[in-house]
Amino acid sequence: MLEPAAVRLDAVATGRDDAIRQCGEALLAVGAIDSSYVDSMIQRERSISTYVGEGVAIPHGTLDGKESVRRDALSFVRFPDGVDWDGNLVQVCIGIAAKGDGHIGILSSLARILMDPAQAKTLRETNDAEAVIELLAPVGEDEDE
Amino acid sequence: MTSIESKDIHKIVVACDAGMGSSVMLASTLRKELKKLGIEVTHTPVNQIPGDADIVICHVGLAQRAAVSAPSKILIPFQVFLGDPAVTKLVATIKSGGTVHA
Repeated sequence: MLEPAAVRLDAVATGRDDAIRQCGEALLAVGAIDSSYVDSMIQRERSISTYVGEGVAIPHGTLDGKESVRRDALSFVRFPDGVDWDGNLVQVCIGIAAKGDGHIGILSSLARILMDPAQAKTLRETNDAEAVIELLAPVGEDEDE
Repeated sequence: MTSIESKDIHKIVVACDAGMGSSVMLASTLRKELKKLGIEVTHTPVNQIPGDADIVICHVGLAQRAAVSAPSKILIPFQVFLGDPAVTKLVATIKSGGTVHA
């Protein structure tokens, strides 16, 4: 779902749309989408922000954009200097391409991480792609707290 | 419908545009919180809200579309994906067995 080739830890963006394009390019690089999906990600962001808190946004396409998804995949792009995201400062973008439910485990992990400020900080600051993948490793939804 | 008793809530649907991102995260968080109460929590695109949903949760920006797509459902709009006061209140009400108002 989240492959090392789709993890970029040292990106720079001129703004929100540029950051989204880079998330899309990482998805394109691993063959998860057709390039038209990237425009659908930007369109989606214009209707409702995908900022989820703790300096993290999760850009993804629209319902129509699903047709441009080849397989479920995620990308992780970090902008150490931050990107202005409609007034919020975003340092981590997790791009989502999904036609099935393959990404749900990782998003569940992300929700858990974001509710723990210390883990969220690690996600924003670690320089190790493997550590990012490990941190976001899917947790079973049936797992008891 | 403008209100529902907690005991009558069996299914909550988190709706978003594509059912791909934010709704998935919110649904996963709610599922964990409400699992012990036997309430099913799913996520769907806003134009595919299932008929057996008792409560629909969606971003304020989608509330109008949700109201058109599922007119008879109790709709809880939220602004923030994690820790929104409306969602926190909903969970607290359900856990205490109270009445949920639209």
